Amino acid sequence: MSFLKVENVSRHFGNLVAVDGVSMTVEPGECRAVIGPNGAGKTTFFNLITGMLGLTTGRVLLEDKDLAGIDPTHRVKLGMARTFQITEIFPELTVSENIRIPVETAAGLSMKARMSASQRSGVRQRIDQLLEEGGLSRIAHRYAGELSHGDQRATEIMMALALNPRLLLLDEPTAGMGDDETHAVARLIKRIHRESRMTIVLIEHDMRVVFNLADKITVLAEGRPLAEGTPAEITANAKVQAAYLGGAA
Amino acid sequence: MKFDLRQNALNIVIWVLLITMPAWMNAIGGYTQLGTQVVIMGLAAMALNFLLGHTGVLSFGHAAYFGLGAYGVGMTIRYLDASTPLGLLVGVLAGAVAAALIGPLIVRRRGVYFAMVTIAFGQVFYFIAVRWNTVTGGDDGLTNWHRQNIDLGLFKINIMDSAIHFYYFALVIFALAVGLMASILHSPFGRTLIAIRENERRTRFIGINVNFHIWMSWLVSCTFMALAGALFALQNNFVDPHSLYWTQSGIFVIMCVLGGMRSFWGPLVGAAIYVVLQDYLSSLVSDYWQFFIGLVFVAVVLFFPRGVMGMLRRRAVE
Amino acid sequence: MTQLILFNVANGLIIGAFYALMAIGLSLIMSLSDVINFAHGGFLTVGAYLAYTLAPYVGFWGGLVLAPIFTAIIGLIVEKFLISRVYGRDPLYSLLLTFGLAFMFEDGSRFIWGAQSVPYQVPGWLMQPLSLNYFFLTGYRMFMVALVAIAVGGLFWIMSKTRLGLRIRAGTLDLETVSVLGVNVRILRNLNFGIGIYLAGLAGVLAAGQLGLQPTIGGSVLMPSFVAIIIGGLGSLTGTLLGGLLIGVASGMTAVFWPPASEAVIYVMMALVLLVRPQGLLGEEGRF
Repeated sequence: MSFLKVENVSRHFGNLVAVDGVSMTVEPGECRAVIGPNGAGKTTFFNLITGMLGLTTGRVLLEDKDLAGIDPTHRVKLGMARTFQITEIFPELTVSENIRIPVETAAGLSMKARMSASQRSGVRQRIDQLLEEGGLSRIAHRYAGELSHGDQRATEIMMALALNPRLLLLDEPTAGMGDDETHAVARLIKRIHRESRMTIVLIEHDMRVVFNLADKITVLAEGRPLAEGTPAEITANAKVQAAYLGGAA
Repeated sequence: MKFDLRQNALNIVIWVLLITMPAWMNAIGGYTQLGTQVVIMGLAAMALNFLLGHTGVLSFGHAAYFGLGAYGVGMTIRYLDASTPLGLLVGVLAGAVAAALIGPLIVRRRGVYFAMVTIAFGQVFYFIAVRWNTVTGGDDGLTNWHRQNIDLGLFKINIMDSAIHFYYFALVIFALAVGLMASILHSPFGRTLIAIRENERRTRFIGINVNFHIWMSWLVSCTFMALAGALFALQNNFVDPHSLYWTQSGIFVIMCVLGGMRSFWGPLVGAAIYVVLQDYLSSLVSDYWQFFIGLVFVAVVLFFPRGVMGMLRRRAVE
Repeated sequence: MTQLILFNVANGLIIGAFYALMAIGLSLIMSLSDVINFAHGGFLTVGAYLAYTLAPYVGFWGGLVLAPIFTAIIGLIVEKFLISRVYGRDPLYSLLLTFGLAFMFEDGSRFIWGAQSVPYQVPGWLMQPLSLNYFFLTGYRMFMVALVAIAVGGLFWIMSKTRLGLRIRAGTLDLETVSVLGVNVRILRNLNFGIGIYLAGLAGVLAAGQLGLQPTIGGSVLMPSFVAIIIGGLGSLTGTLLGGLLIGVASGMTAVFWPPASEAVIYVMMALVLLVRPQGLLGEEGRF
């Protein structure tokens, strides 16, 4: 059984076709990269999977369950967690508080006005564990809004992980970062993937990161599927080279 | 749990000032009733700020729920049963029920649109109060009723005649309400509200049903607002439709901003400044005090947007 | 009975036309600048009193032309020196600013022109009933409706045919792109505000003749204008026009059958619209 199956999805904005007939099948535990030149429709494609945008045509299935009509909030409950191209965190809260909110939500406490002592310590332990895993313990009490790009991204990824997702969707996790930060974030994702065998789909523009992380790669161009395959196959693909060179020229 | 000295020092200062207020109020040129009004308006502003400052939702129609609480207590004592506690209960319930019903109609709206819908909805209650004059007293307000003493068996609280007894009666209710709001804000539920304020999209993608949480926050906020309105009516032994007119809603918002929306105590500080200022202005320029209140609005926006507590905090950080 | 109903429908249409004039201006400003102009009613009051003050010198017709223009000029100044300073900040601040201005306008009018209502002279021949059976159809009422129609028609023409109008509409949809394309957004918002205030001033002059002049005249039509926008759909000028007329008529009809509810009925309508069609009758889903 495939884990995530995207069948022939399209999205039109008026006359503009942002995504046009894209299909993709991701196996459990796979790390899939979605790449393509600017304007290829990668983020729109992501938004179709997470339910932020409605489909014009096609279907999205998670473990054979059709997600039509399920809003983003409920898709999270089905095990989907995502990060955004422009980091979405709680800037005026500390890193620890940032992590606390999804931890408490995942524990089903978000409507509670009171916690038992055991719930309290359970939450505390889980926060510490996530801070530790994300390498955030040293900055746990700093305001998220004043951190470096890389630390903010790590916070966002750990917030997603706090939801105990089965599918992690990362939109350009290294966007706008220098080499050191890019390397650190890529290492974090790799460790998460290796240790939990979580299914990950990521959009990424940095090819070093893509080839380092991805089991398989899907290439989009102008909203359409261009190629799919292992990193080696994609490197050798003439169409992909043309698209990228064309995009650069 | 780390012990934040500054936060606790502030709590202590505020409570000491509130508890000792009748002792020094006259010495600085005020009077006990003015202190009572600060406490009641402070509760109203803090109730509004639960939504405005802590959930980040732009509500401009809170006078309606304040007024519902006020009419609830007045009408209960006048028509139903001369009992202060029953009146308070009915007033609070009236506000809560109205808020619960209106909530689902408005929680999908955001920003200025939310503000517009909430303030427009408030007007419905204003017109009911004005037009249903056989019951509400119409434009002249609801008169011929009086708050009743509270019999606790062992002793009686003489709130009818003693301004000081009524002050402490209001302060106890204020303390309970504010304590409850603080504990909600420090619970997981309260944290999701702050999360919504900080970043609604992220909150949604954590799997939180944002609209439902806003509805709940709206309900909590309006309920405490109705409680404040009920106390206000008890203080004056009178309610008039002005207490639920849309301009009153703006006044509650300016109290929050004046004191500092990001601070828990800010709205109380703002309410204190506003109440004292209004008292002073209306004695100074009786007919045109609203003009100067308007000027205060403009000045706050242009020169003082973070409010008193916001400025103090910033200074402390620097 | 038929006469009574007709009378109230006609009355409702006229009141609705005021609401629509106000609401369209508010809606223009809200769509482009993300500001609820609580002072809009204050501008209406100023327009009405300006016409009253100018009338002895320039007559009714001169006042009708000049008062809205002067009101719009005040609007341009207020926008430039006050409201434009809060663009880009939390929308809360623009609301508080215009709220404060509303207080200042109302008390300022009371200070300058007095709290008592003052009569405003409309040419006698305009006040004559057009028909004995339908005594309420005075020339002035027909004239008002015609003038509102011309003003709204003119606005729609500006919005669809002139460069300014097209830029305003484009800015409403995507301000960033418009500014990247080299349009001066500051000036665009300023002019747009002026147009909105012109309509408020015009409504003020007309209201002065119909309802009489007092400082609270503006505040009392502000909330119904909000309702007109919500019912019609924010962002749709046609919808707003429709919303204004609709609540005017509904209010007039209710006055026949159950007078005490004539004001409250429009809020019930608003609740129903929000329940059934949250984006408003002609609004687009998802914009707000």
